[in-house]
Order: sequence, then structure tokens, then C-alpha cells
Amino acid sequence: MTDPDPVRLLVPVDDSVTLRNTVAYAVERASAAAADRPVELHFVVVTRTRSVSPDAPSELGDARDLLERVALWVDEDATEAIRPSITVDTDVIGVDRYLFSPGDYADTLLEYAADADVERIILDPEYSPGGAAPLLRPLEFELTRGDVTVEEASVDRQAKRTVLARAAPLSKYFTVFGAAYLFYLLLSTWKPLDFFTGFVTAAIVSVVLAPVVSGEPAAVRRTGGRLLRFVLYAVYLLKEIAVANLQIAYVVLHPDLPIDPKLVRFQAAVWSDSGVTTLANSITLTPGTLTVRVAEDGFEIHSLTEGAREDLFDGGLERAVRFVFYGRAAAVIPSPRERGDTGEGEDG
Amino acid sequence: MTPFEWVIVGIAVVGAFFGAVAAIGIVRLPDVYTRAHAASKSDTLATVLAVGAAALTLDSGLSTVKSVFLIVFLFVTNPTAAHAIARAARDQGIEPWTTGTEEGDDR
Repeated sequence: MTDPDPVRLLVPVDDSVTLRNTVAYAVERASAAAADRPVELHFVVVTRTRSVSPDAPSELGDARDLLERVALWVDEDATEAIRPSITVDTDVIGVDRYLFSPGDYADTLLEYAADADVERIILDPEYSPGGAAPLLRPLEFELTRGDVTVEEASVDRQAKRTVLARAAPLSKYFTVFGAAYLFYLLLSTWKPLDFFTGFVTAAIVSVVLAPVVSGEPAAVRRTGGRLLRFVLYAVYLLKEIAVANLQIAYVVLHPDLPIDPKLVRFQAAVWSDSGVTTLANSITLTPGTLTVRVAEDGFEIHSLTEGAREDLFDGGLERAVRFVFYGRAAAVIPSPRERGDTGEGEDG
Repeated sequence: MTPFEWVIVGIAVVGAFFGAVAAIGIVRLPDVYTRAHAASKSDTLATVLAVGAAALTLDSGLSTVKSVFLIVFLFVTNPTAAHAIARAARDQGIEPWTTGTEEGDDR
């Protein structure tokens, strides 16, 4: 094929109910364009797997299966006439990056789009990685930062979306309301007024907070052990906090103020939302280190003294967090220093 | 005073000490990041110790339970707030103070 530059379309895919139709739509668009130019269809799965996670092989396997299925569908949908001028590219991207918000996903997709010289992104209407919390700008908006055209696949979807459902399912409001009301009453004095104030408070709480309550279903099987290990962790953390606070008191009260602050960056070997949050907060609580941000390229830590940095890279906290969330086996992963993940941030 | 009361007084005094450390730290340290250290950690410990002393003093009923909840929430929210401040400062492009930067350069 020595034809002019091919038309390149990027379709991020995920296991959604409208995926099949989105693929059909993409093929339709490709067929329309294939009349005079060859078409490259790029299907990508954006994953947040971290390669150190024990679940990584199975998660990557699922992603590849999905892409294989998509490739088959394209083959099914394309007519004989245009099949020769369509090429399908599949890829899994985003491994080992911290992806939280739609903005992070948009960055990853745009980077891929720039690399592959994609001119148009076709979005599955049900594709919403990074959550659709009303506090965050949706992916569609974040993608417009790049210089590619973004288009939503026009597919029939089940008429189940209402305005409320987009923010949070109604059941969630009731769950949050119930939990808040119960908690209020448990801590109250059971006077008639308490029932009224509790009702009002719980109503406000559920309306304001239900959309941001994490919908991650708790793995009940794991939670018991995790809770037990968390108690052990709390004891360990309290000890660390006490020791480190004494060090800070020494530094602050010392007449010469012996500090040597520096920003450092490192890749932590933790890989779930709750794990990362716990580690980030624990780092902040242990004096001498302060989590400035957790971005795609790792943790950014402000450290007050050389000693605090050493402790951080020894990875005691990180190991403890892994022990809590993933059990004893995960605790033996090497420390950041041994992994060579101690990227010193540029001095400013 | 009973020995138990002495323990409570001890905890409260240690809490007050760390509260003072936090305050002195905020005054003495050079920039927003280092001050956030003092404001988040020593402060957390101070508050937790003070509330802990209160929890021990109160009738070991509902008020104590409430105090314990307060302690738990402080441990979760204090570092989160410090993180939000530091992150905001970083996003504003404020450069961290280092030993290379000399006096008069702070702020």
C-alpha cells in the first residue's frame, strides 16, 4: 500500500455494555473513510495494573482477551470490499502508572494518540475510567486538551441512564443516609429531638456525599484478615509516629535548625486505591516526610532531613502497608532502595 | 491524686509539649512545605494526646467513645489536609526551600 497517509482512529475500549456497538460504529466510520485512503484502527485498553502486583498477569490477560475479541468483531463487521484497506492495531497502555482521575486517563490516551499520530478518537459512550464523580471533569472534556478530534460513538444504549443515575445510583443515597442516621443515633442520647436532628443531618450528608462515596465492592473474604493486620499496622505506625515526632521536636527546638529539605520522588510498590491512600497518609504522619502529590510517575515526597529520606527509602512503611493489604507474601518485595526506585527529584 | 490521674496529666503535658513544638516549628521553619511538616505531624500527635487524655478523664461511656472516634478521624483527616496544602503549593509552582537558598530568600 503506497497510498497517502492512512486515516488513524483511536478507540479506547473497556468491558462495557455498548462496546460491541462502538466497535461496529468504528468500523462504519472506517469504511466510510476507506474509500480513498487506507485506515488504521487502534484499539487500546488503558489499564492501571502495576507489574509488581500478583494480579498483574491475570489482569493483563483479560485485557488481551478483550482486544482479541474486538479484533474478531472488526473482521466480522468489515465487508469484503474494504477489509484489505483496514488494519487493526491493539495495545495495552498505562501499566505502572498511577491513574486515578479521568484527567490521568486522558493524558495517557493523548500520549498514545500523539505517538501513533492519531487524528480522531472514538469514545464508547459508556467508557468512563477513573470514575464519574461530579467533582471531576469527565474524560470527554479532558481529552479536548489534545489536538485530536474527539467523537462519541452514536450507538443505541439501553434507556437506563437518568440524570440521577449518572451521579450515583439511588440505592447509594439510601445506604449513605441509613449509615449516617444509624451512626448519629448510636452516638446520641435518644431524645426525640435527636431523631429529628439526626434525620436532617443524615439527609444533608447523603445528598452531598453519596456521589463521592467509593463504590468499590469490598472483597469480604479478604476483609477479615486485612482488618486484623490493620490493627497490627496501627500499633507499628503509632510507634513510628512517636519516635519520629521526638526527632522533629529535636530539629525544631535545636538552636541551629539542622534541616536539609529536599523533594524526592519514588515509585511505591503498592497498587490499589486504598493501599496508595494509606501509604501516602502514613508517609505524611511519620514526621520528616510529607506527601506532596501522587502523580502518574510516582510519589513526590518532601523530606525535612537526610535521616527521614533514608527511612523512606528503607521502605519499612511501604512494606507494612503491603502486609496489611496484600498479606505476608507481598511484604517481601524489595525496598525502594534495592529496586533502585529512589529517583531524587530535581532540586526545586 | 491517684496514679491514674497522674497518667492523665502526663499525657496532657506531653500533648501540650508537642503542641508547642508545632507552633515553634511554624514560626521557625523557612517555607510552606517545611511548615506543613510542623503543622501536620506534631500537631496531630498533640491533638490526639489531648483528646486521649480527655477520653480517659470522661466517664467511660458515650463521651469516651466519641473521643476515640475523634482520634481516628484526626489521624485520617490531618495528613489529608496537609497533603492538600502541599499539593496546592506545588501546583502554584512554589519552589521548596533548600539549604542552598540563603537567608532573606524565604517566601
